[in-house]
Amino acid sequence: MKILYQIAIIFALCLLGEIISAILPFPFPPAISAMLLLLLALFSGVLKIDHIKEKSDFLLSNMAFFFIPAGVKVVEHFELIASIWWRFLIVVAASTIVVFIVTALTVSLALRLEERRR
Amino acid sequence: MKEMICTSPFFGITLSIIAYSIGCYINRKTRLALLNPLLISYLLIIPSLLLFDIPLEWYDKGGDIINMFLSPATAVLAITIYRQRDILRKHIAAVLAGSLAGSASSILIVFVLCRALGLDDTIMASLLPKSITTPMAIAVSESLGGIQAITVLSVIVTGILGSIIGPVMIRLFRIRSEIAQGMAMGAASHAVGTSKAIELGEIQGALSSIALVMSGIITVVLSLLIFG
Repeated sequence: MKILYQIAIIFALCLLGEIISAILPFPFPPAISAMLLLLLALFSGVLKIDHIKEKSDFLLSNMAFFFIPAGVKVVEHFELIASIWWRFLIVVAASTIVVFIVTALTVSLALRLEERRR
Repeated sequence: MKEMICTSPFFGITLSIIAYSIGCYINRKTRLALLNPLLISYLLIIPSLLLFDIPLEWYDKGGDIINMFLSPATAVLAITIYRQRDILRKHIAAVLAGSLAGSASSILIVFVLCRALGLDDTIMASLLPKSITTPMAIAVSESLGGIQAITVLSVIVTGILGSIIGPVMIRLFRIRSEIAQGMAMGAASHAVGTSKAIELGEIQGALSSIALVMSGIITVVLSLLIFG
């Protein structure tokens, strides 16, 4: 029963997220609405981690598995991928390197400023 | 007979679990970032579908059920942030600055490169969320009119690439702060990078999971504001 309740809590949050995203006047992913709701519920104390622990651990530790079907859909786009593959790789590789450097340097700088203020 | 078996939702789900288990096994045995469990799953599932001439819509009877869990899996990422709330509170300025800079630079460089290389708007919409975790990336791609599968592919390639070159960049650019190391791993290469960051150290792992969620949220908001 415990797992059943946990599934109900998390699915209800997702349902609420879908309702909120439908009401919002701009497009906003329902999954992110649900995540922000859960964040709010945890920080306000309405929900405790124990209420959803087992189900969340199941979702978090098998996270990558749930991405499988979305990626399998590439079978429908082989021609498209064949026509863009090297440009695709340039965009992906260059942006990964740039984001890494920008983030690392920004955080290092921010930490140094924090220290100086102390 | 083939149709009877393969149109059952149990077929797609079972095939996916078997492929993923083999992927995890190979990854654990070899400890190579390149042999990512998800990548191995695709290398097993896609050729089998093609080889046995199984249409995607048959596989998707089960696939859609797995897909349904993307939303709950995204929602419980909130727990990751909540568990790290002490570190978060202590370094909130650095975390926010890093996530914002990382997300903005990701969107900017993808936009500029797609334009420069003559990639159309659909491809650009698919690639804009490439640095963030898959369920969030799919959500952004969908809202912007991108192709889900291209997004997933770009997210996975980004994750694998980041976990391989991340440690190299840390040495190359002499990133000494463990906080900066973790943030950069998470912001540049989401969950796959985070699993590598955990290997670097506990602080790196914690900060990487914070960066994964924070830059995810910021990228969602920024890309929908700019391109939505």
